[in-house]
Amino acid sequence: MTASSVSRVMAIGSQTWELTRRSVVSEKRQFLSVLPGLIFPLLLAAVYTKQFGRVLDMPGFPEVDSFLDFILPACIVQAVTFGATAAGSELALDIENGFLERLLVSPVARAPILFGRLAGAAVVASVKATVILAVFLIFGVEVAGGPAAMFVLVVVAALLVLFIGAMAQVMAFRTGSQEAVGATFPLIFVSIFMSSAFFPTNLMSGWFKVVAENNPLSWVINPVRRLVINEWSSADALQALGLPTALAMMTISAAVIALNRRLAIL
Amino acid sequence: MTAVIEATGLIRRFGEIIAVDGVDLSVDKGEIFGFLGPNGAGKSTVVRMLTTLLHPTSGSARVGGCDVMTQAGDIRKMIGVALQDAAIDPLMTGSELIRLQAVLHGIPRSVIRTRGPELLERVGLTGAIDRRVGTYSGGMRRRLDLALSLVHEPQILFLDEPTTGLDPTSRQALWQEVRRLNAELGTTVFLTTQYLEEADQLAGRVAIIDHGKLVREGTPTALKGTVGAPTLRVEVDLESVALARTVMRGFGGERPSREGRVAIGLDEGAARVADVVRALDTAGVTVIHLELDAPSLDDVFADATGRRLEGSGDEQ
Repeated sequence: MTASSVSRVMAIGSQTWELTRRSVVSEKRQFLSVLPGLIFPLLLAAVYTKQFGRVLDMPGFPEVDSFLDFILPACIVQAVTFGATAAGSELALDIENGFLERLLVSPVARAPILFGRLAGAAVVASVKATVILAVFLIFGVEVAGGPAAMFVLVVVAALLVLFIGAMAQVMAFRTGSQEAVGATFPLIFVSIFMSSAFFPTNLMSGWFKVVAENNPLSWVINPVRRLVINEWSSADALQALGLPTALAMMTISAAVIALNRRLAIL
Repeated sequence: MTAVIEATGLIRRFGEIIAVDGVDLSVDKGEIFGFLGPNGAGKSTVVRMLTTLLHPTSGSARVGGCDVMTQAGDIRKMIGVALQDAAIDPLMTGSELIRLQAVLHGIPRSVIRTRGPELLERVGLTGAIDRRVGTYSGGMRRRLDLALSLVHEPQILFLDEPTTGLDPTSRQALWQEVRRLNAELGTTVFLTTQYLEEADQLAGRVAIIDHGKLVREGTPTALKGTVGAPTLRVEVDLESVALARTVMRGFGGERPSREGRVAIGLDEGAARVADVVRALDTAGVTVIHLELDAPSLDDVFADATGRRLEGSGDEQ
């Protein structure tokens, strides 16, 4: 690697760091908008645990001490999807109010414009996942897979946000509208309910079972759940991390293409 | 002199609309160049092409010796840009934005620590550096925008309508800073404005754009000289306008004016004002108000386009 390419890589790193910092600071200063994303899943978990206590005895239901053990991955996924589109909606806001042009007219590399927002959202998601995990541990949940499983849980949360956030960025470049990006949230929210998040698919029936079994969210939640309620398994960890990594790489590539297209038609 | 901004046959279309229609420009190093025109004339589109934000449909442009299409990255390193809407993240503080802008330009943190406060002091924002921009007034935002565009000490500064919406005091403060930058650091300034006074006060040379085409270019003095005679404006009753127009045409060519007024270029200047008033009186026209103005850039604009500039003093 030549000296100039090293300094270019360092410049991109430094620009990405500063734009990530900007995203995190923005979220911190809008803390009240982050709060519902934490409170709602926790309330839902409390209600479900109280209401569905008896399903634990159903034949075919995973062996758990409490419904909380079962619902932990779902609660984290739900919490991080609140605000997962932030990387896109904040980017759309930058397009709407002209801040993107301020960035484009500077010698900033194009990648940090996307990565800064995405990394900021991933940091916020990791913090949210850690807070929820801590609350569940306080209420007696034991993660069978140990600290490594907890780490996987947090990283999966960050990866899911990268996947959804980059998808929202594609939408932001296509529409330039914060509202249009925000409109994708209900779809994501519904897709959580149509997965194995709140109920095991082997106890479902009909078309709902088919949808839930083929929902990629189930493919992520199931191995994470096994890490929580069974024991540490490298295969489960790989499955839990692999799919969101692949999905995130796909949507981030699509976001880079969308940015380049937008710049090309200027 | 060396031209640092050059455009040849610059055209930009948006679908069927031709926003910029064959603009040729040349701005010398160290100049303050005023780009004057009404809203929608194509000023911002030209700036966006020169600052690499927009590709020309055809024609070519070079900034600092670099081509806007093929050397955009090099241009971005040497220009400072304050765009029309002062797009500044309201959740961040002034000092945070200065640091962000500096990092984007690859300025070392040690330099930012001294330059940042200096810049904010220069634009009069020292007391507000740790406040969120959302709490700033319009004038403070504009001044911060100017400070941000200067973080990397650019050789060429593009200011797109920098004082639109500002109160007179803030406007004067900004003018003073632009003059200082130009005089002390030799910064070339490309300034778009719809304010005649701004162009007159700041610019060494002015180009007037209308409907995407350059209609006049030169120093303010030379441009005003082309209009010739001072403008005599007479306000009369609405029903007497036609008669007043007939009488006044005998003293000079008619110029555009608002309703209820008649304006002419008074060929022999102030010496003929009394004659005009007498002639109107003889014809039975009652003069409500009368004023004689030396030629202005608005007269130049009116002479070139047949219209007055929106928001100019002559329109009010």
